[in-house]
Amino acid sequence: MGVVCVFACPVPEGKSGQQVVDGLQKQVEMMGATKSGNFLVDCETYQSNPQNVTQTPQQCVVNILHNSEHPASCFSVTESGQILVSDLLFEDLMSKLTMAKAGRESFYSQRKGFKIESRGQRYEVGDFIIKIGSVSLASNFRGILIEVEYCPCVILNECWNMMKELLQSMVGNSAETPPPVLKHKPDTVYTPSDTILQYLDHFNNFRKAVSAPPPSR
Amino acid sequence: MAAPYSQFSPSPTPVNVCVEAVLESQIQEVRVVEKPDAPDGHEIQEVYVPPLSMSENLTKLAQKIDFYKDESDEKGKPTSEGEKEEEEKTGAAFQPSLWPWDSVRTKLRTSLTEMSVLLDILNVSSSKEKRYMVLDPVQQNAPDPKLAVQLMSKRRALQSAASVLQSGAERLRKSHAEINNKNDFHLELLNVRQKWRLKKTGTSILGDLSYRSVGSRYMHNGVFEVVKSSDLTAEGEFLAQRGSLDVVVPTELEGGAYIQVEVKSVPGNCITDTMDLTGAILRVPSGIGPVRSETYWQQKLEKAQNVLFCKEIFAQLAREAVQSKASIPHLVVGNQIITNVFPGIQLSIVLCHSTGKEREKKLPQYKMDHNHVLEHSLHQLLRENHFKNINFPAPHPVTALVGLTKKRRLAGPNALSRKQLMDMSDSESMLDQIIKQTKHNVLRLRTMQTIDGIAATLSDPQLTVHWSCCNSSTEASCRVIITSQGYDLRVWHSFVIIIGVDSLKVIIKEGRVFFLSFEEKELQDFIMWQVSQHQISVSQNLARLMGWQIMSTSTAMGVSDLESSGTASSLILAAPNKERILAIKSGPSSGIKVFLQQSQKDNKNRVILPDDKWQSVGADYQQVDLSKFEGRNFASKLELLLATFSHDLSSSSS
Repeated sequence: MGVVCVFACPVPEGKSGQQVVDGLQKQVEMMGATKSGNFLVDCETYQSNPQNVTQTPQQCVVNILHNSEHPASCFSVTESGQILVSDLLFEDLMSKLTMAKAGRESFYSQRKGFKIESRGQRYEVGDFIIKIGSVSLASNFRGILIEVEYCPCVILNECWNMMKELLQSMVGNSAETPPPVLKHKPDTVYTPSDTILQYLDHFNNFRKAVSAPPPSR
Repeated sequence: MAAPYSQFSPSPTPVNVCVEAVLESQIQEVRVVEKPDAPDGHEIQEVYVPPLSMSENLTKLAQKIDFYKDESDEKGKPTSEGEKEEEEKTGAAFQPSLWPWDSVRTKLRTSLTEMSVLLDILNVSSSKEKRYMVLDPVQQNAPDPKLAVQLMSKRRALQSAASVLQSGAERLRKSHAEINNKNDFHLELLNVRQKWRLKKTGTSILGDLSYRSVGSRYMHNGVFEVVKSSDLTAEGEFLAQRGSLDVVVPTELEGGAYIQVEVKSVPGNCITDTMDLTGAILRVPSGIGPVRSETYWQQKLEKAQNVLFCKEIFAQLAREAVQSKASIPHLVVGNQIITNVFPGIQLSIVLCHSTGKEREKKLPQYKMDHNHVLEHSLHQLLRENHFKNINFPAPHPVTALVGLTKKRRLAGPNALSRKQLMDMSDSESMLDQIIKQTKHNVLRLRTMQTIDGIAATLSDPQLTVHWSCCNSSTEASCRVIITSQGYDLRVWHSFVIIIGVDSLKVIIKEGRVFFLSFEEKELQDFIMWQVSQHQISVSQNLARLMGWQIMSTSTAMGVSDLESSGTASSLILAAPNKERILAIKSGPSSGIKVFLQQSQKDNKNRVILPDDKWQSVGADYQQVDLSKFEGRNFASKLELLLATFSHDLSSSSS
């Protein structure tokens, strides 16, 4: 487990998402990367039913994320950024909470059409792991996310410059600074939760862009 | 009573007359004793009662006192006034009529008076002032003890005590005999029950030999039956030394068994040729041969259990051998598993099981090359497997799945990565583990032999090996030290060899790490290379000591003939006043050579460069024949050489 940076790759006008992904894959393969399977990061959103949750009158939102890099874990993130890492059994608990019972509404209900995921190829180049994922919201293409992991290091500041070099060759100038989620912890040990927070940040951005017209395919 | 004076005596001097009481002892009996010298032929003897002692006399006198009489005499003289009047009154009233209770009343009265007197006496005597009355204890001598009666009673008491003890001893002996008695089936059964798992099904008693209760998953049920041996030997051939209980083990578990592990080196290159398929010869040493029929059940059951255990080991290994997808497949033939450890070296694991039937068959005497360490490892591995099957890390949460390790259980909350999870799920099969151990074993032995061989043949620098005592079944390490005799403390080379499963890791003094394969030639070459470098460092050290100047050194010389392995190293030294130059070359295979370049002093007719400093330019190198030098080894020879030249030149120049 090393330091992970996730960046969105802009899709230029007049190009389909698949074309961009193909181009990126070719570029990575030119660097000498080898394919090492697929990856998937998905996110589902649950909201509380206010009539059952008396303490907080406004709606609470819980995002449940999975990362294929951590197959035994389930990440749940609240709106405030609180993150809980748990076993996969947590989903059973969630499904129990979403069940309506005896005429009463359930505590939580799944938000329809909010399932978002990023899936694609996973590459390995030396100490780096590169993942090129296309993001789809309710099976509609939304954009491209590039994840770069540098395995031997766990502190962002100590390897950022090296990662920046690699990232800039792929996503351009948006990788000038570290991802906003990691800005407050440049010198602490990187944890898997930070990856999830980055993904959630990007997913929320893509969801917000739903109202805008989807990029041309 | 003495009369001191008598008036009838005329003499003026008084005469003392003693008057004493006659010794009046009572005559107890009169005996007539026959005596020949007496006038009537007999004599009469009187036997006296022995005189009373003082206390006896007192007792006797006291007995004579008639207290009643004295009391009755004093009747009518009551002590107190009131009583007296009352007495007179009652006496006056009832005297004539003679009241019928009169005698009773009188007696009561008498006794009351006696009691009162007695009380008074006691009061007086027990008062503090002892001068009025003192009570003396009246002693009467105890009657003579009768010896015979005493002895009789003692004898009787002893007899009764003896009988109690005897009956107790008899009871103990009886119960002890019952315990020792082998013929009691139920006691035997109790003993079996304490050591083995038994249960009753129908009319038979079945026991369990298997290791299932400790985690085995072998399919053999391992059931044995407990029978009364009298049932078996109905024909009357009952053996006395055998108990009344017998056990019947399944026929496939009879006899003795063991796992034979052998590491064989097979000549030849082709693998199919080297597989010695005829190797599976049953060789059972007499020690663990068939069980004698009269063996006590415990031994019989233990042997049967051992057979079961060996079978389980073999079955597991055979299953893994068939399932494994190794590049060179493992062979399972009959009761033998053959695997290739290294090229030319194979491991054969044989299940030897003798049922006792082929006991008489004479087996060809075969040189047993049984590896006890690996056999023990196999047993250990299976037991570890058993342990893992039933023992899970202790605290489980109720919600967690059973059988997960703590690490796996916390994998979710700790967000372990895919790779970490994969590493966790990897479990080595028993066969793989034993092959690893075998490889290490072979490799360690090879390394040891290689180093020892070089150390034995090499005489110039010496090799010393220190084996570390901290090792495991798959890793060992040693340190090899190269020294020159006589210069041990000045220069020494050392390197550490870490022996792994199928490769060696060598760390030399300056921290460089080399990885060598399992071939011993590589290690040999490496050691020879280190030896050649050691010679150069010795020379360098000596040169520095003697004031020679080091002009160049190289550990990998590019010129000259190619070494068969490794590289030759070189050293060029200049004498203290630069008039001679020594070149030393040391190669692993070519050995050490020394060349000398001397300035041509005699060549005075140089025209172009007449200056002295150009003297040695262009001069030829000549090889120094080191064998002509005195000295035990190269270092001492070189020291001599350096000393000679430095001294020679310094004296000549000065």
